[in-house]
Amino acid sequence: MENLTIQDFKKMLSAALEQVKQREDEFSKLDAVIGDGDHGTAIVQALTSVVEAAEKGSEFKTMLNDIGFNVMLQTSGSTSTLIGALFLGMSDAAQGDSLTVSQVKEMFKGGLANVQKQTKAQVGDKTMMDALVPAVQAMEACDTEDVRQLFGCAAQAALKGAADTVNMKANFGRARNYGERSIGYTDSGASSWACMFESFANVL
Amino acid sequence: MKTKFINETDNITSELLEGYVAAYRDKVKLGAENIVVRAQPKCDSKVAIVTLGGSGHEPALSGFVGEGMLDCSVVGDIFAAPGAQRLFQALQMFKRDAGILLVVLNHSGDIMSANMATQLAERAGIKVKKLITHDDISAGLDAPDDDRRGLAGCIPLYKIVGAAAEEGKSLDEIYEIGERFNRQVATLAVAMRSCTHPQNGAVISSLAEGEIEIGMGQHGEGGGGRQMLVSADDTASQMVALLMKKLSLTSGDKVALYINGVGATTHMELNIVFRKTAQILQDAGIEIMDSRIGEMLTVQEQAGFQMILAKVDADHIGYLKNSMSDAPYWTVIGKK
Repeated sequence: MENLTIQDFKKMLSAALEQVKQREDEFSKLDAVIGDGDHGTAIVQALTSVVEAAEKGSEFKTMLNDIGFNVMLQTSGSTSTLIGALFLGMSDAAQGDSLTVSQVKEMFKGGLANVQKQTKAQVGDKTMMDALVPAVQAMEACDTEDVRQLFGCAAQAALKGAADTVNMKANFGRARNYGERSIGYTDSGASSWACMFESFANVL
Repeated sequence: MKTKFINETDNITSELLEGYVAAYRDKVKLGAENIVVRAQPKCDSKVAIVTLGGSGHEPALSGFVGEGMLDCSVVGDIFAAPGAQRLFQALQMFKRDAGILLVVLNHSGDIMSANMATQLAERAGIKVKKLITHDDISAGLDAPDDDRRGLAGCIPLYKIVGAAAEEGKSLDEIYEIGERFNRQVATLAVAMRSCTHPQNGAVISSLAEGEIEIGMGQHGEGGGGRQMLVSADDTASQMVALLMKKLSLTSGDKVALYINGVGATTHMELNIVFRKTAQILQDAGIEIMDSRIGEMLTVQEQAGFQMILAKVDADHIGYLKNSMSDAPYWTVIGKK
């Protein structure tokens, strides 16, 4: 699979929404350990507006920009801010209706860069960044011309990153107040973002 | 148990805004749902000053919309930030070549909405710059800005940036003047007796009878140390000492001092607190250039007050005292 088309990308987004919906309760329960227990709802809402905005898209740059606007204007909270920022950043780094492997890499690099403008959280802070950063880095390092393989690399790294959060102490946001008590649970945000990347890989 | 003169709890915000703009209709109006703007807009060759925040803190923040201060206040529900959508709508209304200064109090919900709305605004070709206030010192004198909440210190800041905008200063100049004040203003809150959330009746924080907490936040959330109630003089002394330390004040410095009642503390008490605070400053050789006592930013029926102390320079003194403002809750005649 040499190119990622708009249709492929829409399929990936819909698959991510389906998977996240199925695991909504799990994400909320994880969040309830060190947060306010609404992450499942938040991520489903955010991805619902992502998929809705993607439907009309026929070109990457405009579609990704519309997705970013739609998420931020329809929903509120930190999850939407970060998902919105990802898509706006991806929009800056993509164009056309079909992308090569290196263009897909660029697109996700742009997305990550814009997310990093919105949050100071780093890898190791027990947040969604523990899934997103390794996923984008793995794509960058993945030596392939095959889009399917590229997302395979990303999914693997995101899942490992999310699993690693079990032993981490929350170091960011409200969860920080829980200190040592946050150890022993996977971070809800890292899990849901890993789930997205896993769905991307599985549907291609 | 009902303890407030309200109607349907879902309508509190819209009803309080309708009452407010009806009372001051020559000065303010609703530009759109939950967006308060001046009755006569400023000419759009000048920078617009916009702010945002939850309701339930009246007269803040909409009480400071008016000639010489804010152009617009974007209002959220009780104690809740307005969503990015409403803020983006307001930024679109004030789009202009001169730009918009968006003053954001450091509270996570407000910051998040502001981050989203400004990202979208920039992409929509709207020139906007954020100025984040974090005057609360209860997190510690050395606490990083991110950990310090925005309290009522935003109000004299509105006066300063509002006056600078009226004078025709550029967005960068206004930001610099405002940020210079922002770095030199410190606020400390004290609370006694908690308040209830007007919509769900939940008691916010639990202070025992006769107990006070210095460092209480805007929604009654705890921050500092609890102690038994002491006299006005002792309370004022403790608080002003911390603020003076934070600002490294020395003899000859010029300051502005404001005492903001948060709801259930009488003006009688606020006057007595001001008296002692002013005496301490004067004894230290510090001159008070601008001052005010009143309810500016309240927390329902919570008892307590915020003490706002700022080290001011000639620019700030001029903008605070000599420039006019006809905002309903901060009127200054000024000098011609």
